[in-house]
Amino acid sequence: MKLVLPPRVNEKSFQKALDAFAGVVGKQWVLATDEDRDTFMDYYAAGDADQHVPSAAIGPQSVEEVQALVRIANEYKVPLWPISRGKNLGYGAAAPCMSGTVVLDLGRMNRILDVNERFGYCLIEPGVGFFDLFNYLQQDKIRLWMSIPANAWGSVVGNALERGYGYTPYGENTRNICGMEIVLPNGDLVRTGNGAMANSASWHLFKYGFGPSWDQLFCQSNFGICTKMGMWLMPEPEATLGLNIQLPNPDDVGWAVDELAPLRMRGVIEQSPSIGNSLRFVASRTQRSEWYTGDGALPDDVLMDILRKNNLGWWTINLRLYGYDEVNEAHARIVKEAFARHTKQEIEVVKWRCGDPIENSGAGVPATNALQIINWRGGRGGHLGFSPVLPASSEHVLRQFHSTKKRYEEIGVDYYGSFTLFERYTTNVNMMVYDRDDTALTARVRALFKVLVADAAKQGYSEYRTHLSYMDDVALTFDFNSHALLRLNETLKDALDPNGILAPGKQGIWPRALRTERA
Amino acid sequence: MSEKPYVPLPGCITRLALAAAVIVSLAGVAARAGEDSAQKIEEGKKLFHARCGYCHLVGGTGTIMLARRLGKDRSLLEERTDLNADYIKKITRVGINGMPPHNRIELPDSELDSIAIYLTRPASARTTDADAGKGGTP
Repeated sequence: MKLVLPPRVNEKSFQKALDAFAGVVGKQWVLATDEDRDTFMDYYAAGDADQHVPSAAIGPQSVEEVQALVRIANEYKVPLWPISRGKNLGYGAAAPCMSGTVVLDLGRMNRILDVNERFGYCLIEPGVGFFDLFNYLQQDKIRLWMSIPANAWGSVVGNALERGYGYTPYGENTRNICGMEIVLPNGDLVRTGNGAMANSASWHLFKYGFGPSWDQLFCQSNFGICTKMGMWLMPEPEATLGLNIQLPNPDDVGWAVDELAPLRMRGVIEQSPSIGNSLRFVASRTQRSEWYTGDGALPDDVLMDILRKNNLGWWTINLRLYGYDEVNEAHARIVKEAFARHTKQEIEVVKWRCGDPIENSGAGVPATNALQIINWRGGRGGHLGFSPVLPASSEHVLRQFHSTKKRYEEIGVDYYGSFTLFERYTTNVNMMVYDRDDTALTARVRALFKVLVADAAKQGYSEYRTHLSYMDDVALTFDFNSHALLRLNETLKDALDPNGILAPGKQGIWPRALRTERA
Repeated sequence: MSEKPYVPLPGCITRLALAAAVIVSLAGVAARAGEDSAQKIEEGKKLFHARCGYCHLVGGTGTIMLARRLGKDRSLLEERTDLNADYIKKITRVGINGMPPHNRIELPDSELDSIAIYLTRPASARTTDADAGKGGTP
């Protein structure tokens, strides 16, 4: 990709900035060729990769280098887009929101600085991947478990900052954050929570510190660059007990949510079970052309035929109980009774005890196999996820499910959805899978996304996370008091980052000097 | 002024000894080169497992995708003998189908060179490798 300059910066000034960056990190770690830029583009983009073109990338290795780079960026007004490992696939990967932004790739900062088994936490840098931390814990026989997302190629810190989740009782990674080190947009260095006390004995034990608590202000934001993160890890349980069940009918998701949500809230189920439509299973193992070659959405009768041939229900539920064996057994009885009130479907039981192979434990073993789904349409696959948050009740879930499925059918995209149950809400991930070279299909996907954002907002449903191209759309759905939250965010942005150099446009937050760039 | 006395070359036995010495010396260079090469291959193997193993070991998503596209016998990159270094490097940088490109920060050129050396190692450097693709952790 040819160079696209950042707004407010001419070519001469940009080159001077690159030279100054190289003075800090060395020439080898300033990448600015056409081929280099391509490697930081949104590879899975649905036809809109050219809206998010990086101008260069820099790879620092220390916090001091990050501070120096930020100061140079201020001097030349060159915007920076921090990434941990750049594997935010389906949400924009390593690409910046605003074209011309320089990617600040923190992948070389990949040290595991501390793991404390007694208190159950780690202190890590942003370049540490799920595989890295998992291997470290396994090799040193440390009896702590991580919460691993479906695609585990990415960064532990990045996933927590973007509020990603895994499937253990410690599933919400952002909830496990306990104390961060942050480089502010002016280059200053701050530690959050009790880390603000230089000799704190409890930086990664007590989340709040004294006065305002800042950890969540640095999640999904552009107020600072996280260079270290404390994260709680789960003590290995004595046993786990998995319960897997197929539900045959589309509307079964309603009673399933009504039965499981109270158990989740009461702590009978401590992790977040996923209720996924079975196309998820089929798409990860076969291709659409093996079943259907027509255009438009996959017809219901074809889907039913696929499910019958694969012995699958319309929905698949995988839930797991963690803890002491006797408690798990008691909780399993309660969950089974809940299912028995509605179905005679067989429940598959998977038991694991401490010392058995970890693969069957429900601890989560990092893998990238979830990416198989992008082959569903064949060709050069890609995916995009629309993920609203709803109250965990059948009234909301059924309405949203039917409304979303109808939109998929009207616009001509195969429906692929899941509901992940948390204590009080459910995250409804709707996947759109496409062949990137099918321009008609990618245009339909983009149209579908916009419609879904608007439909959900009418019902009071907001997204928990979104792709770069829709950050402004989603931010604008938070419209109480004429977008008071956006005004607050941008007031804070301008105070912390007067030159607007840090991740302009991230989550719809634009600095004063660049607000004309808002989509 | 003294002059070095003329010493005629000894007979053919001595010539043979010289030739042998040259061969031994060349063999030493070759052995060292072999050691260097073995070291590079080993280095490349480690890097392949660390950087590519996420997807390209047994059961990995890349292996599954390749099996679907090219057949099972060509799905494990470590066992392939039809790859060339330039192709490996190009695909790694630009991506292919579902595989995203790898940038020069996460995978510097020097490391990619080593991986290419490993994947294109000569037949003599290939063991029966019963555990190829199964060992190690990504």
